[in-house]
Amino acid sequence: MSVLPQLLLDGVLTGTSYALMAAGLSLILGVVKVVNLSHGAFFTLGAYVAYALSSGGAEYHPAAAVFLGSGIAFAFGVFLGKSFINPVRSHPFSVAVGTLAFALLFEQAAQFLWGPHPLVIAGGAPFAGPLGTTIRPWGVAALLSSAVLFPGMRILLSSRWGLPMKLIAEDEEIAESVGVDVEKTRYLTFGAASAIAASCGALLAPAAAIAPTMGRSPLILSLIVVIVSGMERPWAGFLLAVALGLLSNLSAYYLAPEASYLLLLAAVCALLAFRPAGLAGVGIARDA
Amino acid sequence: MSVYPRRDTQARLFSILIGMLAAFLSTIPPASASPAETVRIGVLAPLSGPFAAGGSSFLQAAELAVEQVNSEGGVLGRRVELAAADTEGRVDVARSEALRLLSREKVTALVGAYLSEETVEAMEQAAARRTVLMVPVAATAEITDRVRREYGKYRYVFRVGYSIPQWAEILASFLKERGARRYAFVGTGIRWNRELGSALEKDAARSGIAQVYAAYYSPGNPAFDPVAVAAAESRPDIVVLGDPGRNSVSFLVRLREASPGLPVLSVGGALGDARLAPALPLSGPLYVQAAAWKGSSPAATAYVERFEKRYGTPPVGYSDTLPYDAVILLVAAWRRAGSLSADATIAALEKGAFPGTAGTYRFDASHQAIWGAGPGTLHGTVIRRERNGGRIAFPGR
Repeated sequence: MSVLPQLLLDGVLTGTSYALMAAGLSLILGVVKVVNLSHGAFFTLGAYVAYALSSGGAEYHPAAAVFLGSGIAFAFGVFLGKSFINPVRSHPFSVAVGTLAFALLFEQAAQFLWGPHPLVIAGGAPFAGPLGTTIRPWGVAALLSSAVLFPGMRILLSSRWGLPMKLIAEDEEIAESVGVDVEKTRYLTFGAASAIAASCGALLAPAAAIAPTMGRSPLILSLIVVIVSGMERPWAGFLLAVALGLLSNLSAYYLAPEASYLLLLAAVCALLAFRPAGLAGVGIARDA
Repeated sequence: MSVYPRRDTQARLFSILIGMLAAFLSTIPPASASPAETVRIGVLAPLSGPFAAGGSSFLQAAELAVEQVNSEGGVLGRRVELAAADTEGRVDVARSEALRLLSREKVTALVGAYLSEETVEAMEQAAARRTVLMVPVAATAEITDRVRREYGKYRYVFRVGYSIPQWAEILASFLKERGARRYAFVGTGIRWNRELGSALEKDAARSGIAQVYAAYYSPGNPAFDPVAVAAAESRPDIVVLGDPGRNSVSFLVRLREASPGLPVLSVGGALGDARLAPALPLSGPLYVQAAAWKGSSPAATAYVERFEKRYGTPPVGYSDTLPYDAVILLVAAWRRAGSLSADATIAALEKGAFPGTAGTYRFDASHQAIWGAGPGTLHGTVIRRERNGGRIAFPGR
C-alpha cells in the first residue's frame, strides 16, 4: 500500500501543531508588538503540567492538562507582561534579551524541579484510519483544537470583546483616545497567548519526550509562521503552517530528513524575498 | 502616554532583578578552603541544554568515583575533589570552561567532554596547558588521530571510551549474533552519528548484513513521522538508533506506532535511562548498548549497585560507566606513578593495565583504550530493556 496518504496526513497534523503555537505568538506580535522569545517556555510548561497530572500511575487527561496548564501559563504571562514586557516594550532589544532570559530561567527551573532526563507520557494507542493510515490521538487533538481556536480567534477579533485588541493592533493612539486601557489589554493578551502555548504543550506532550529544552524547536518554527503570515489573517497562518508541515514531511521522506529543515527555511526565505511583508502584505512592494 | 516605565514599575522591576541576582549568587559554591590539601579533577559535561540528561549522569558517576577513591584514602595522602563545569553541549562554552578549569580552578587533570565537537576543543586546551585529559564518551577519530600524528603535543589525551571503529565492530557483532540480515540506521545529524553510520555500514557488510535505510534528522526539525514511516517501510530486521539525546525517545514512540514489533538497538542515550522504562513502548524488543552492566563482571555489579544505592536509580550503563572508569583509571595511574605530574601519569597509563568497571584497560599507541569483540579486548554489553529494568542480551553466554 502507498505511504503517501500517511505522509500527507502526518504533514497536515505536524503543520497543525506549528499553527497552534503560532496562534499565540501572532496575538503577541499584533497587539503587544514584541517578538516573544519565551513562548517556547510556556509550551514546555504545558507539557510538564500534563506530565505532573499523569505521573504516579494516573492516566493522561488532555482536558485537565489544558485547563490547568493554560491557567498557570495565563497567570505567569500576565505577571511577565505587566512587570516586564509593558515597561520595556518600546526597546525591542531589551524585550528580546529579557524574554530569552526568562526562557532560559524557566529551563533551569524545569531541570531543577523535574531533572534533566526526558520524561514520557503514554498518550493512547494510535488507531487505523482510511487508506491504511495510522492516526495518532495527539494529532487529532491538535487538529480539533485548531478547528476551535482559529475560527474562535476570528470571531473574537471581530466582536465587541476583541475590539480593543484590534484597535491597539491598528493604532494605539486611536485606541487610547476612545478609552481602551491599552496597558491592561496588552498584558491580558500576553497572558492569553501564553495560555495558548501551554495548551499546545499539554496537547502535544505525548508526541515528544518532555525535557526542559523541548520548547526551542517549536518556538523557531512558529516564529517563522507568524513572521510570514502576520496577525491579521489567522487562516493564512494556519494554511501556511500546514503547507510547511507537508513540505517538511514530504521532503524528509522523498529527499532526506536533514534536507527538510533547510528546504523549509529556503521556502520561507524565498517567500519573504518576493513578499517582504509576508502573506499579510499582499500588494506591498519590495523595499528598494 | 509616556513610553518610559513609571517610577513604581521601575522600582518593582529593579527589585525583581535584585532578587534574581541574589538567587543566582546563592547558587555559586564557596571557593575551596584548602586547595593545596586536595587534588582537583575538572569535569566537563553538559549539565544544561539538550544533552543535560547524559551530562548529569556523567557527573554523578564521576562523583561516585571520587567518593570511592576518598573512601580508600585518596591519592598520595590527599583527598580528591571535583570541579565541575557545564559545557551546555556547546563548543564555545566547552572551550572557555576548559580554560577556566585549567587556569582558575587549578585542576590537575580533566575528564570530559561529552560531544565529540566539545572534546576536540577541550583537548586543545589540555594540550596547551600540558594537562592530562581523560575522554570517556566522545568517539570521533579526530581525537586519537591527533595523538598519533602529533604525539608530542597531544600525548596528554587518553580515550577510555570506544572509538568509532570499535563502536561499529561491537554493533556489527551484535547484529550478527542476533541473525540480522538487514538493518536501518537513524540518528540526529551530529558528527558522531554520521561517522558511526558510515563505519557500521562497512563492518556490517563484511558480515553480509545490509544497511537498507539511513537517515540523519535535523535537531531543529526532526521530522520523526516520515523517518519512522520510511524506516519501517524498508523492512529491516532491526533499527539501529544513534542518538545521545531525548530525540531517541520521541523517535521510538513514532517507530512503534508505524511498526509495533520492530526490534530497536539504541546506542545509549536517553533510552538507557531506567526511569523512562515504565512509559516506553516495549511492544517490540528494545536493546540498549552499555559499557558494562549488572552481571557482566563482579566489578560491574558492584558499580551498578553502588550507583543505585547512591542515586536511587540504576545507571544508564555507558555515559556514566565510562566517566566513572576514567576517574578510577586516572587515580590509579597517579598512585602507580607516585606522582601527579603529567609526564609520570602518561608513562603509567601507557605502560600499565588498569582494572575498571568494564574490564581491564590498556591503551594503544594513539592512547585509545582497546575495545572490541575479539579476544583480549574490553567487551561492550547490550541490555534488553524490560519494564522492571533490563537483562544482558549481548555478548551471549
